[in-house]
Amino acid sequence: MADQGLSFERRVSRREVLKTIGGGALMLGSADLLAACGEIKGSSTTSSGTIVIGYVSPQTGALAGFASGDNYVLNQVRGTSVYKNGFKLGSKTYDVKIVVRDTQSSPDRASQVARELILTDKADLVLTSSTPETTNPVADACEANGIPCVSTIVPWEAWFFARGGKPGTSFNFTTMFFFGMQQFGECFIPMWDRMSTNKVIAFTYPNDADGNAFRDSKTGLEFYSAQAGYHNVDGGAYTDGTTDYSSMIANFKSKGATLFTNAPIPPDFNTMWKQAAQAGFKPKLATVAKVLLFPADTVAIGDLVNNVATDAWWTPYHPYTSTLTGQTCKQFADSFESSTGKQWVQSIGSVHSLFEIAHKAFTAVDDPHNHTAVATQLKTMNYTGISGPLDFTKGPMPGIAIQKPVGVQWKKGTKFPYSMVVVDNSANKNVPVNGDLAPTNP
Amino acid sequence: MNWVNAIAQGILLGGLYALFACGLSLLFGVVRVVNLAHGDFAVLAAYLALVVITTTHVPALLTFVIVAPLFAMFGYGVQRLIIQRSLEVSPLTTLLVTFGLSVVIQNLLLVTASADSHSFDLGSLISASFRLTPELSIGYVPLMIFVTAVVVLTGLQLFLSRTAMGRAIRASADDQEASSIAGVNTRHVFGIAAAIAFATVALAGLALGSSSSFDPSAGPARLIFAFEAVIIGGVGSLWGTLVGGIILGVAQAVGAQIDPSGGVLAGHLVFLAVLALRPQGLIRARFAV
Repeated sequence: MADQGLSFERRVSRREVLKTIGGGALMLGSADLLAACGEIKGSSTTSSGTIVIGYVSPQTGALAGFASGDNYVLNQVRGTSVYKNGFKLGSKTYDVKIVVRDTQSSPDRASQVARELILTDKADLVLTSSTPETTNPVADACEANGIPCVSTIVPWEAWFFARGGKPGTSFNFTTMFFFGMQQFGECFIPMWDRMSTNKVIAFTYPNDADGNAFRDSKTGLEFYSAQAGYHNVDGGAYTDGTTDYSSMIANFKSKGATLFTNAPIPPDFNTMWKQAAQAGFKPKLATVAKVLLFPADTVAIGDLVNNVATDAWWTPYHPYTSTLTGQTCKQFADSFESSTGKQWVQSIGSVHSLFEIAHKAFTAVDDPHNHTAVATQLKTMNYTGISGPLDFTKGPMPGIAIQKPVGVQWKKGTKFPYSMVVVDNSANKNVPVNGDLAPTNP
Repeated sequence: MNWVNAIAQGILLGGLYALFACGLSLLFGVVRVVNLAHGDFAVLAAYLALVVITTTHVPALLTFVIVAPLFAMFGYGVQRLIIQRSLEVSPLTTLLVTFGLSVVIQNLLLVTASADSHSFDLGSLISASFRLTPELSIGYVPLMIFVTAVVVLTGLQLFLSRTAMGRAIRASADDQEASSIAGVNTRHVFGIAAAIAFATVALAGLALGSSSSFDPSAGPARLIFAFEAVIIGGVGSLWGTLVGGIILGVAQAVGAQIDPSGGVLAGHLVFLAVLALRPQGLIRARFAV
């Protein structure tokens, strides 16, 4: 309650002061910003000479694994010469402020912090990553307020259709890069094909934005699976947070499913996979989506993770380089591991690319505060950076760039308990295979 | 056969719910406090166990030896210092106080432990099970939780009906003034009841961390199921709580068997039906058996 009162006061005072002495208020505003992003810069520029970039991700909560590499990437980006010295637009140089917000894995809070970034911090661009629960409310807030926004790490169908996108038309201010059901199919189905099975596959999709995108019989993975000649056994639209999966597992067993795929929230996979093991449901190959994308997830589930396959849209083995630092993927991952002491996570490539895109878009316009011009640059962007070639004009819908994920498995590692090994590159031949596809349950 | 499996797994799940509901039932039955922070205390216990595991390298399943007594002492303290005082103001105050405790615990955990989710590493035990028929496997971990629930609830029921302290607790629950006149220190007795309740909450937290995963905000969802188990079984009866938990678990498992999206809903419907048709619960017994 006190917070609301405060921000209300702040807004009123800014509005009043703007009428009289703009300068003083702007100084106040930038002081707020400096405090908010936790760094003090000795610059005397007014906020009009500063480009404010907001970044929203789930740094804590059930989805925290997605954002586990964020701090490193943000510090590195802040340290690059273009971000440290400011963006050059024509003859003028603009300071760049990056303001970071945490959604605590809650869509409500995501929406709230996005509005704060837009209204209080006066963000010129909002970047957001990781699951529809994060990106959709943030992108919606940006679209409503006319602020450019780039999203990533969200299946495009769950981002586009769930927000009421009309096929063939782009949103006015919001764009994204990642991949969708077709690419999941191109990534998972070749791995299924390489296992000799009865082609019966168990689908475990919850009743949420991701789950329903995967389930869709015309555009979802179930469509591509049926096309490839697989017999789908859908476990049903269970509720997120379900504690008992025994009947679903019994159904898979009685139908003789030998393959398994899903898209749950991480705690539910933990419960479900333990119960599956107890019930003796041992699919030959499990290809999971949305979970086990990051090493932290593997710790909570222990040895049950061995040889579970998932998708990887970025690895140290991808043959790409950063447009900001010139580092290769391998160098980037190595520097991440040496400075954090933690295993690389694939989200660092995507988050780094968000800031590559921000730099490209702002340096291509005359006025960074002209939101329409920046949004136009975002929608027509076509470049190659650390995430590989991203073409926002040639996606399945305008304003969406598509990445090509490769198939990976978690295998016992030397440096860390489990590491991600590329086992299938059918969808992106540029990435070398560095391990054999092994059955999850031999 | 699928139905047999659904019912068997539902019974095991019911054990977890009953274990969760035990502390709630006891506090509600004796001290007349609806502890809204019940689920959060369980999560707090799970975090405490995590600290014990990482510092002493005790196997996860043995942490109850340390965590349960610690939580019992903690419970006595919470009862005497916080709940008893609010109880003397008005019953409504205790609701507000426990709600406040819930918010405080969640946010303290969020600040100190971050909102990452955790789970106890049980090694190969977590996937171990024995097979009764090709379609029916019983996992060791759910079975252990179920057995723990039965032992705890049975033991407590016997403790209440057979021992002097049990009699004092029942007497204080029945009539606080009369038992005070008879020389019972009711505040101390309530403290003991809370200590027992908190020890069972600690066990529930360990069961949660073993069978699934937990994070600072995992408590309230657990409170709902615990509350439903208490109401279905009948307030004031620990046998009832065990039965209530099992009925809730079976309802969810059978509901999910009919339709995968109907599991949680089926549990709620059974709860509503009991509340409408038999509000005193299925088993009507005061703590006096």
